[in-house]
Amino acid sequence: MPDDARLPTHASLIGHPVPRIDARAKVIGEVRYAFDEPVANPAHAFLVTSTIARGRITGFHLDEAQAVPGILDILTFRNVGGQVEELPPPGGQGGKTTQSLQSDRIWHAGQIVAVVVAESPEAAREAAEKVRVDYAEEKPSASFDSPGAETIVLADLEGSGGSPHEDPKVGDAEGALAGAAVKVDARYSTPPQHHNPMELYTTTCEWRDGKLTVYEGTQFAHGMKVSLAKQIGVDPADVRSVSRFIGGAFGSRGAITHRTAWIAVAARRLNRPVRLEPTRQQGFTIVTFRAETRHHVRLGASKDGRLQALLHEGWEATSRPSTYNVSGTATTARLYACPNVATKVSVTRLDRQTPGFMRAPPETPYLFPLESAMDELAYALGMDPVALRRINDTQTEPIKGLPYTSRHLVECFEAASKAFDWGRRDPRPGSMRDGDWLVGLGCAAAAYPANIGAASTRLILTPGPRARIQMAAEDIGTGAYTAIALTAADRLGLPIEQVSVEGGDSSLPAAGLAAGSNHAASTCNVVAKACEMARQRLAQAAGAAKDGPLAGQNPSELRLVGGALVGPGGRREPLDKALARLGGPLEIYAENVPEGVPADGVQKTYQGQMASARGSEMKDQIRYSFGAQFVEVGVHSLTGEVRVRRATGAFAAGQIINPTTAKSQLMGGMIWGISAALHEATEIDERAARYYNNDLAEYLVPVNADIPEIEVILVPEEDHRINELGIKGIGELGTTGMNAAVANAVFHAAGVRIRDLPIRIEKLLDAPLLRA
Amino acid sequence: MTGSPSTVIAAPPSDPRAQVPIQLTVNGQTHRLSVDPRASLLDTLHGRLGLTGTKKGCDHGQCGACTVHLGGRRALACLTFAVAVREPVTTIEGLAGPEGRLHAMQQAFIDQDALQCGFCTPGQIMSAVACVHEGHAETEADIREFMSGNLCRCAAYPHIVKAIAQARPRMRRA
Repeated sequence: MPDDARLPTHASLIGHPVPRIDARAKVIGEVRYAFDEPVANPAHAFLVTSTIARGRITGFHLDEAQAVPGILDILTFRNVGGQVEELPPPGGQGGKTTQSLQSDRIWHAGQIVAVVVAESPEAAREAAEKVRVDYAEEKPSASFDSPGAETIVLADLEGSGGSPHEDPKVGDAEGALAGAAVKVDARYSTPPQHHNPMELYTTTCEWRDGKLTVYEGTQFAHGMKVSLAKQIGVDPADVRSVSRFIGGAFGSRGAITHRTAWIAVAARRLNRPVRLEPTRQQGFTIVTFRAETRHHVRLGASKDGRLQALLHEGWEATSRPSTYNVSGTATTARLYACPNVATKVSVTRLDRQTPGFMRAPPETPYLFPLESAMDELAYALGMDPVALRRINDTQTEPIKGLPYTSRHLVECFEAASKAFDWGRRDPRPGSMRDGDWLVGLGCAAAAYPANIGAASTRLILTPGPRARIQMAAEDIGTGAYTAIALTAADRLGLPIEQVSVEGGDSSLPAAGLAAGSNHAASTCNVVAKACEMARQRLAQAAGAAKDGPLAGQNPSELRLVGGALVGPGGRREPLDKALARLGGPLEIYAENVPEGVPADGVQKTYQGQMASARGSEMKDQIRYSFGAQFVEVGVHSLTGEVRVRRATGAFAAGQIINPTTAKSQLMGGMIWGISAALHEATEIDERAARYYNNDLAEYLVPVNADIPEIEVILVPEEDHRINELGIKGIGELGTTGMNAAVANAVFHAAGVRIRDLPIRIEKLLDAPLLRA
Repeated sequence: MTGSPSTVIAAPPSDPRAQVPIQLTVNGQTHRLSVDPRASLLDTLHGRLGLTGTKKGCDHGQCGACTVHLGGRRALACLTFAVAVREPVTTIEGLAGPEGRLHAMQQAFIDQDALQCGFCTPGQIMSAVACVHEGHAETEADIREFMSGNLCRCAAYPHIVKAIAQARPRMRRA
């Protein structure tokens, strides 16, 4: 903000709703996703995946496959094993991960055991289906209670190869719980879930003169480039990752997975581009997923509702070699004012693929138990659930006493409860009816850390005037490119139509990982910085010029407004003229290393590493976005069917760049939460450790008819401490409280507390209210 | 029932994989090409004709991303063999008018921000246009029901409903 009232200002574009800059290209089918990129004379790959979950491959029968006309190559561990480096673990977490095609070892069902390449997709598939594999099968451990499952307490891991783990705790939680007037002690669980973005997990690799281009949807172009180069043993300078548009990701495209290196190898062996289009079913095992979790939550409160003790123990599933975990206690331990907190997280090793991030890791599985327990506590106290959140609100997190840079959780509850008409709720379960439907209203808090990463960008200003922003940002459907364009338009004083964004390409300046709700903060801040550098260059030249309307002006008082450089008193020079003074197009390269990120953060980002500051891990402050979510459900009194009838969410997440896409993001996130509560669960065959609902008909996700009107309220919030633009991020926030809000509404409707997601009819059939 | 067959079944080709010559009319343009008899209309549009707007989300009729119009009716291109297509095909690339004038439904999807990643969007729009023509877009409840064959994992559903409600009267006027 200009501190001098004489300085020219303009109506800020930031915070002003605009349509997506790529919407037109998307509605006419012009946008190129990875598999739409044209490559000359490609061969086609099809995967063969393991039918067993644990054991060894003892033999391949390839004769029939090799007799298929058009067959070109079959990759197995016998001919390519050891030719690439081991797959790194997702996000560098959890030590080792499972491998494919490296040896005879089978780590999980659906592991890639062969890659069949042929002239046509039909021939590749026919040949792949004719590959027969012999196995020496061992009994797998499918889930938490299976024989052979190994449970490891993360805190015990130190020095044994895992990253150091710290369980947040303060005070004497057990003692305080014992002395508390009102207690809740309950166990909860969440099921395995799969991202299932609409775009399949395709990969296309093309070698040209020793250089590889990989077309694969990724959330991190430089991560893909460098990880792949390392795996296949080439110089990262010789690998380019292109993913201009991505058909959804939700975490599934955050880190490199098994398939990519083998398609690069297949293309190198054939000296010809190779395209892989895995099936939807294969997508359930060739990438990561959200592991199932279990929780034990104990709350103790005084009679006025103040929390005295909060104990949260979590268990997460992982693969046999990994200790991957999301450990959401970092958030649940600090959400409320509570002097005595104890947490603990364990992982259980199973014969399954390694899990990874999935939209709102870890808050989606960890806030469900806490926010359900808070509702249980409200009932135990005879207190309104909103009042309980208010009385336990805090501006300081309880573990280390760090201040929240801004926290408007109570304001969110006020805005949402008012819009939702929470006041008409009769708290007695089963008290509200609509014909045959039992109506229930529930609420929960949403929270997600405000993260930010290092990023770089190139700004090119050309006559027109036009601005081009180049950076390896990724738009996974968030509206990232539009937010970037909006920021540049705002700071350059140009209409957004005169700004273009080139992203999704590792040959552009590195811009980090589009995940963990950091991308808007990371990218928009560096773009604003580049624009300010451009303004300075233009202003200095205009001020130092011998002629022109701004000659002799103080450069610091010149602003870019309405396509011109404007000085005090309204003297202005069109941007094209100011540009011409610099002798042609102006090219600016900018880097931004936010507070809390190592000084070499941008360099690390170019090297494909995550260089970010997590809002939950700052030294002297804590940065979170908050929200309040309210849901009305109907539970059919005769059938037990659960329908969400309406939902309202209010969110305070710092500066919103584009309310149009922000509301869509939050709305989509809320529907993800409804989905987690009522629909989604990957079912496991306990004997075979295999998923058996591995397609979009059997793995339930909401369809249009499942979703009612969703109301999204943006609660204004200014936070100048977090970053220059005050952006907190919203990609995950909308999901985090919804599953508890739905479960709490179901309790209010039917009087049954469902602690194991998803909430399905069979879990409600015994509810006494259903027969009433 | 009589013993005599009412239809003559042609002898199967000696090589079941032999390419079959076909003629496809897509967006008003006629293409002559030879295809694998197993090739879907979806793979043929996308991989052979370079019409990449039609998307594959599941390849077996569960997600709707590949929805096109066959003879003006919506059809799933993944469940349609290319060799079986007799009617003219319209894809998302053929929906806009001359000089790129957007169809009312395309404009409505932009106006209502009825898309996020955009991958399901071509199928959503093709279904949405058909939904209006079928008379299945008279109420919001109808729209929700008759658009439920098109999954959107980003979950733009409420905005898709609004977009169809916006486009419906404009399509009638057109």
